[in-house]
Amino acid sequence: MLRKLMTGCAAFILITAAGVASAEEMVLNVYNWSDYIAEDTIADFEERTGIKVNYDVFDSNEVLEAKLLAGNSGYDVVVPAASFLERQIMAGGFARLDRSRLGNWGNLDATILERVAAHDPGNEHAVPYMWGTTGFGYNVGKVEAIMSDAPTGSWRMLFDPDVVAELADCGVTLLDAPTEVFANLMGYLGRDPNSESPEDVELFEEHLSKIRPHIRYFHSSQNINDLANGEICVAMGWSGDMLIARDRAVEAGQGVEIAYTIPEEGAVIWFDNLAIPSDAPHPENAHLFLDYMMEAEVAAAISNYVFYANANGASLPYVDDEVKSDPSIYPSDAVKENLFADLADSPAFTRLLTRAWTRVKTGQ
Amino acid sequence: MSPPRTAPAGDLPGNEPRCGHYVRIEGVTKTFGDVTAVDDVSLGIHRGEIFCLLGSSGCGKTTLLRILAGFETATGGRVLIDGDDMTGIPPYERPVNIMFQSYALFPHMTVEKNVAFGLRQDRIAARETSRRVRDMLGLVRLGPLARRRPHQLSGGQRQRVALARALVKQPKLLLLDEPLAALDRKLREEMQFELITIQKEVGVTFVVVTHDQEEAMTLSDRIGVMDAGKIVQTGTPSAIYESPGTRFVAGFVGSVNLFEGRVVAQDAGHLIIECEGAGCPLYSDRGVRAAHGDRVWVAVRPEKLQISRDAPSREYNRIESMITEVAYRGNLTMYRLRAASGAELRVSRPNLARANADRQDMGERVYVSWHPSSSVVLTS
Amino acid sequence: MRWRTFAIAVPYLWLLLFFLAPFAIVLKIALSEAMLARPPYAPLFEWGPDGSLAVRASLQNFLFLLRDDLYWKAYLNSARIALISTAFCLILGYPVAYGIARSSPTARTVLLMLVILPFWTSFLLRVYAWIGILKNNGPINNMLLAIGIIDEPITMMQTDFAVYVGIVYAYLPFMILPLFARLVRIDHTLLEAAADLGCRPLRAFLTVTLPLSLPGIVAGSLLVFIPAVGEFVIPALLGGPDTLMIGRVLWDEFFANRDWPVASAVAIAALFLLVIPITVFQRLRADQEGA
Repeated sequence: MLRKLMTGCAAFILITAAGVASAEEMVLNVYNWSDYIAEDTIADFEERTGIKVNYDVFDSNEVLEAKLLAGNSGYDVVVPAASFLERQIMAGGFARLDRSRLGNWGNLDATILERVAAHDPGNEHAVPYMWGTTGFGYNVGKVEAIMSDAPTGSWRMLFDPDVVAELADCGVTLLDAPTEVFANLMGYLGRDPNSESPEDVELFEEHLSKIRPHIRYFHSSQNINDLANGEICVAMGWSGDMLIARDRAVEAGQGVEIAYTIPEEGAVIWFDNLAIPSDAPHPENAHLFLDYMMEAEVAAAISNYVFYANANGASLPYVDDEVKSDPSIYPSDAVKENLFADLADSPAFTRLLTRAWTRVKTGQ
Repeated sequence: MSPPRTAPAGDLPGNEPRCGHYVRIEGVTKTFGDVTAVDDVSLGIHRGEIFCLLGSSGCGKTTLLRILAGFETATGGRVLIDGDDMTGIPPYERPVNIMFQSYALFPHMTVEKNVAFGLRQDRIAARETSRRVRDMLGLVRLGPLARRRPHQLSGGQRQRVALARALVKQPKLLLLDEPLAALDRKLREEMQFELITIQKEVGVTFVVVTHDQEEAMTLSDRIGVMDAGKIVQTGTPSAIYESPGTRFVAGFVGSVNLFEGRVVAQDAGHLIIECEGAGCPLYSDRGVRAAHGDRVWVAVRPEKLQISRDAPSREYNRIESMITEVAYRGNLTMYRLRAASGAELRVSRPNLARANADRQDMGERVYVSWHPSSSVVLTS
Repeated sequence: MRWRTFAIAVPYLWLLLFFLAPFAIVLKIALSEAMLARPPYAPLFEWGPDGSLAVRASLQNFLFLLRDDLYWKAYLNSARIALISTAFCLILGYPVAYGIARSSPTARTVLLMLVILPFWTSFLLRVYAWIGILKNNGPINNMLLAIGIIDEPITMMQTDFAVYVGIVYAYLPFMILPLFARLVRIDHTLLEAAADLGCRPLRAFLTVTLPLSLPGIVAGSLLVFIPAVGEFVIPALLGGPDTLMIGRVLWDEFFANRDWPVASAVAIAALFLLVIPITVFQRLRADQEGA
C-alpha cells in the first residue's frame, strides 16, 4: 500500500513542478474523462488561441477528487460530476467563474442550469458539460428467453428479488457506486432519493441483502464489455456506457442485442461540469477555454462524437438527428420529469453508507 | 537401507582377503560422448592397504574414483568389493565412503551433526551414534570443536571433519579425492603422516586419487599410475620410482635423464647401448628384455649421477659436459649441464657438509657418470 | 574516509527520503481529524493568535479501527489470502527454481529469461488477460464444454480462486528468482556427499537442499507475501465482491469516504502488521545463517 502512496507522492511532485514551471504563459492544463471530447476540439482551440493545451484524462471521480483535495493539482480545467463538484466547492476547491469573460453563457440550457444549481448554488463555479442517467442495460434476447414477461421498463429488473433470482444465472450486476444505487433504490421504494436517515440506510441494506445472492458482481466499468459479449444479462450502468455496450455488441456481430432503460420509477440524472480549480495556474486561459466549449457548434460536435446529451440548448440544431432522437440520450420531457439528482452527502452519512455497502458486498 | 557393514577394524592385517583382492576392478570403461575417460582398467586392491591412483588432471583417475563411489555408471566392466558386484548399486547403498576434494561438509550442520549424518541414515540408535561420533572425533583430535560450524574451522580441521564423517560408517572402502590438495605445504606434510596413522588404526582400505607424486609416495602402499584412461603401471612407491616401466612413468614420478640409443651388445643381464646424445657407450644392468638393434631409452635419476673434475676410470656411462646452472636448495643442490652433443642433463647432489670449499661452479667442465645398476633401460 | 562515510550514508539517505519521510507524512495525517477542506484533514500544529503553538493530535482514528470489526477482518482476510498465495507460489516456484538451477548454463539463461519475460508486458494487461481466460465463455470453459466434462460453464471469475490465480501468477517470478539464486549456489557435491553417506535422493533433498535453500524461501516468501497483503488491483479485477482485503478497505476510506486520516491509520496499521512477520523472518534467517 505504501508503495502506491509513494508513487502517488512522486506523481504529485512532478505535477506540481510542471505547474510552477509553466506560470502564466500560453498554456492550459485540462483534466477530462477519457473518451469525452471530439477529435478536433482541442486542436481547433489551440489553433484559434495559440494556447498550448496539455490534455490529460482520468476515469474516476474519486481520483480527480483526491488530486483536487490534495491541492496544487496544476490543472486549469477539470470535469467533476455534480455531486463531487458540490462537495469540492464546499472544500474551497474551485474558483468563482468570471461571467464577463464567458460570452457564450447564454447558450446553456436553462432547465439544466437550474438542476445543476442544486449542487452549485447560483451556478457560480461550474459550466454544465454533458449529462446522462443511471439506469440499466440488458441483453434483449437472453432476457426474453429466460423470462418472456420480464419487466424491462422497471427497476424490478434489478430490485425485485423474484425477478433478479430468475435472471441470476444469466448474470446480473450493480454499479460499485453506493450513492447512486442508494438513490435509485430509494426512488424505487418510493422514498427520498437524497435521504440521509440511518433508517433508510438500514432499509437499503436489508433490501439489497435479499437480492445480493443473485448479484454476480459490483463494478462500474467491467459491465460494458461483459454486456456486449453476453457474459452478463442485466447491468445497472451509466447511459453512455450502456450505449457503448450496445454499439460494441453490434460491432462484434455475435447476435447480442443490448438495450438501455431509464426505469419508469425514475432514475438518477447526473451532470458533468467544467470547473476551474481555485489554485489553477492559468485561470485566464481556462476562461477562454470554457467560453470556447460553450459555443453551440463545438458542443454539438462533441455530442455527435461521444453520444452524450450536452447542456448547451443552442447546440441542438447542430446535433445529429441520430443522437437527438435517441430517447436513451435525449429522453422525453415526461421521462425527464421523473429524474432526480444525486446530491452530495455528509461525511457521516457517507461513512454509514460505505460501511453498509461493504457489508452487503462481502457479507461482513 | 544400506546393507550391514563389517567392521574391519581390528581383524587386520592377519586375515587374508577371500580371493586375493578385496576390491576388484574388471575391465572398467567409461565414455562421455566420444571421449573415453577410463579405458578398460583392471585393478586389484588389497584389504587394508592405501592405494594411490596417480596421474595428471584429465587422466581419468577421478572418473574411476566416481565409478567406485557409484556416482558414475561404467560403460563397460564391473567393480567387486569384498566379492559383491557393485553394478547397479546406487551410492547410498554401497559400503563405500568418499572424502571429497572440497570436503563437501554440510554448512548448516555442526561438526558433530556432520559426522553423525551417515549413521543417522542407517538408523543407528542415538546412544550408539553419539558414542561413535565421539570416538571418531577423538581419533581426529576434534573433540573440543564438536559444536562448531564448518565455516568456523581452519582448512586442516575441515579436512579432519571430512575424514571423520567418511570413516565413522566403517566403510569397506574409503575413497579420498585429492585429500591434501587444499592445504598449505607444511600442513600437508603433517596431514600425510596423520592420515597414515589413522588408516593403520582403523584398518579401512583407502583409495587415494592425487596428481602429486610426492603425496602418492608418502601415503601409499601401492601406486597405480594412470595416463589417458589407462593404468600404465602398478607397484610399490619404490618399484615405481626405481623401476619405471615406461618413459611416461619415469618422467611423471620424479625427474629423470633420458638417453635414446640402440642396443649394440648384450651379455648376461647387461646391455651396451650406443647413444649419440651421450657421446659414449652406455652400460646398463636393468630392463634387459631387448634384442640387438632395438631402439631403447636409458633412464637415470638425477641423484644417481656423480660429478667429477677428473675423468672417471670407466669408459662407459661417462659424459663430458659443462655446468650451465646451479640451484642451491638447502638439503641438496641442483645442477644443469650441457653435454658436448648438446643434450641437457640434470644432477642433484646432497649437501652433506655445511660448507663445501670444493664445489663445482657454473661454466666449469666436468664429467658426469653413473654406475650401471643406477640406470633403467626402457623400450617404450 | 570521506568516501566511506558517503557510501554508508547512501542507503540511510534512501531510507530517509523514500520510507521515513512518506511514513512521517502518513502518520501526521493519521493523527489528525478529517474535515471538508483542502487538504481534507485538520492541521496537526496550529499557531494560536497569541503566538502559542497548539498541537491537536489524537489516536482517535486508530481507536476507530478497533471499534469496527471490518478492519481486523480485512487484515486477517488479506493475511490469509496472502499466506495461501505465498504457499502456492512456493509449491509451484520451488520445482521451477530447482529445475532451472540444475539445468545447463545455456538452458538456464533461456529459462530465466522466460521467467522474467512477462515483466515486459504491463502488469495490468496481464491481469486483464486472465479475465479473458477465466471468464464463463473463455477458453478453459469452452474447452471443458467441448470435451463434455462439464455441461454448464464453471464460474471462475469473481471468485477467490481467480484472486489466487492472479496473485500466484503475478508474483511467481518474485518467488522463483531468489529461490533460484540460492539453489544455484548450493554445491552439488553436498548432495553427492549425502548420497555417499547413505541418503536416498528424497531424504538428501529434505536434509540438505531444503535447509540450505531456506534463506531463498524466506526471501521469496517475503517478496510475495508483503505486496500480496496490500494487493488491490488483482482482487478488484478478478475477485468477487465478497473478497474483503485491506487494499479495498483502504481505497474505500480514501476515495469513497474521503477520510484521509482513517485511511492513513489503516495504512500504518497494515505496515505494522507487516513489520512483525518481517522481523520474525529476519530473526529466523539470522539464526539459520549462523553467527
